[in-house]
Amino acid sequence: MRSDKSLRKGLFYGWYVIAALFFMTLLAIGSRQGFGVFVETWEKDWGVSTATVSIAASVGWLVNGLSQPLFGRLTDLYGGRKVVIPSLLVMGVATIGIASISNIYGLIALYGFVISFASGGVSPATTGVIVARWFERRRGMAMAVLVAGGSVGGLIVVPFMSYALIEFGWRTAWLIVGIAALGLGVPLLLFVVRSRPSDMGLAIDGEESQDSGEAEVVVRPVGPNYVDKWRDSFSSKPIWQLSFAYWVCGITTASIAVHFVRWAVSEDISIGTAALAFGLLSGINAVGVLAIGILSDRWQRKNLLGAVYLVRAIAFISLIVLPGSSAIWVFAVVGGMSWLATVPLTASLTADVYGVRNLGTLFGFANMAHQLGGAAAVILFGWAFTVWGSYDIPFAVGAATLLAAGIVSLSIREKAHSVRYVQVPVGGAAGSELIKQGGD
Amino acid sequence: MAGPIGTPFGAPRVPLLHHSEPIDPTLWEWLSAKIDHVLGISPGVAVMVLGAFIVLFPIIVMIVAARRRRGMK
Repeated sequence: MRSDKSLRKGLFYGWYVIAALFFMTLLAIGSRQGFGVFVETWEKDWGVSTATVSIAASVGWLVNGLSQPLFGRLTDLYGGRKVVIPSLLVMGVATIGIASISNIYGLIALYGFVISFASGGVSPATTGVIVARWFERRRGMAMAVLVAGGSVGGLIVVPFMSYALIEFGWRTAWLIVGIAALGLGVPLLLFVVRSRPSDMGLAIDGEESQDSGEAEVVVRPVGPNYVDKWRDSFSSKPIWQLSFAYWVCGITTASIAVHFVRWAVSEDISIGTAALAFGLLSGINAVGVLAIGILSDRWQRKNLLGAVYLVRAIAFISLIVLPGSSAIWVFAVVGGMSWLATVPLTASLTADVYGVRNLGTLFGFANMAHQLGGAAAVILFGWAFTVWGSYDIPFAVGAATLLAAGIVSLSIREKAHSVRYVQVPVGGAAGSELIKQGGD
Repeated sequence: MAGPIGTPFGAPRVPLLHHSEPIDPTLWEWLSAKIDHVLGISPGVAVMVLGAFIVLFPIIVMIVAARRRRGMK
């Protein structure tokens, strides 16, 4: 490892890696979110219904969820760099391909399958592994900055695509974004991103060794739940607790995402007010996720995770008990604080408990649970509204699942499982003497 | 069943973005009209401004990363 004094000067290189991944996330998520901007145009151009265009997005949701454990596993095996670069390359080529399609089947094939599948390779299941390998002490903050890239993508890329649509037409808009991914995103990743600090002769967190210049092998301490094989993780409780809570996260975010407008209209709230509430929520969630990231490097992450779910439960309850005109603003403020914060907390906690060796696979499974829970909830909420003519019962179910997720998250014994509190010094977890850094 | 803006149930028209769900087209139409009204810039200028960010951000990151790497040698 480098011990040169020059390393003390300047920013730790891991933050440049974060900046590059931030841009990739901004482009990837922004272009996926931008899909909604083109729905009306495609309806007119191809003479299809909104429901038909939505098939591409629905298929994409499921394909993206199912791809994440696969890409997570590949990241664990070959390193993040070898996964994110080809994934962005495929996304870029397919995005350019959208510019040349002439019917809905092309959209379903390219967006629903190719782009959505490849975007699993640039999701938190893969980027989270890179971050976890570069950062340990400031892992929560680093993850939060990366997740915020998604929010910024919505604020930058979605308007960009919208204005490019007006100025140049939809084909050129997609062409520009695809070229940006290939011409800017891929070179940036190639030049800046390395899978782990040791690839550049650095140490995690930018730590400096105390060596005298001789070659050395640094063995990172691991937690008591560290396992060599990812399957063994499923015999312990934390992965089930985290995955259950993240499944609830998927249920509650996806259902609100799809049914929010319909609920607002059923409460005689205008589209304009709903849009303003959305803008407020977006601003709050970007700030909220960064604040949670900072706090999570100081406090127990499971307490923050539990609090986030309980806060979101309050937001859901407000939709039931308050008049619609008040509930929409309470939901925007209270719900906004919790909207993105689950992502860095869940990823960081998974890394703390099980180590980074199998993080991609494990967090990939959690992400899959998130997406599948969301897909099921969207259908069930719609069915419930059809049957009862009101969202009160589905929102009550959402609040109940959030309360359960909050309690389950709080029940995680972080001080007994996390490497932040209990470390196994050398040679693996089994049979080693534990170093306790804190007590329960 | 159809929603208030013509969506069948289950169709992902999304006002609240979490991971990478598409933005709701109706809400975006309303928002972009408001942005146009407040800022008063043409779509061409908006493309230039936002496009400049998209182009300059990675170039700046590459330049500062290159300088950092030189400093580490």
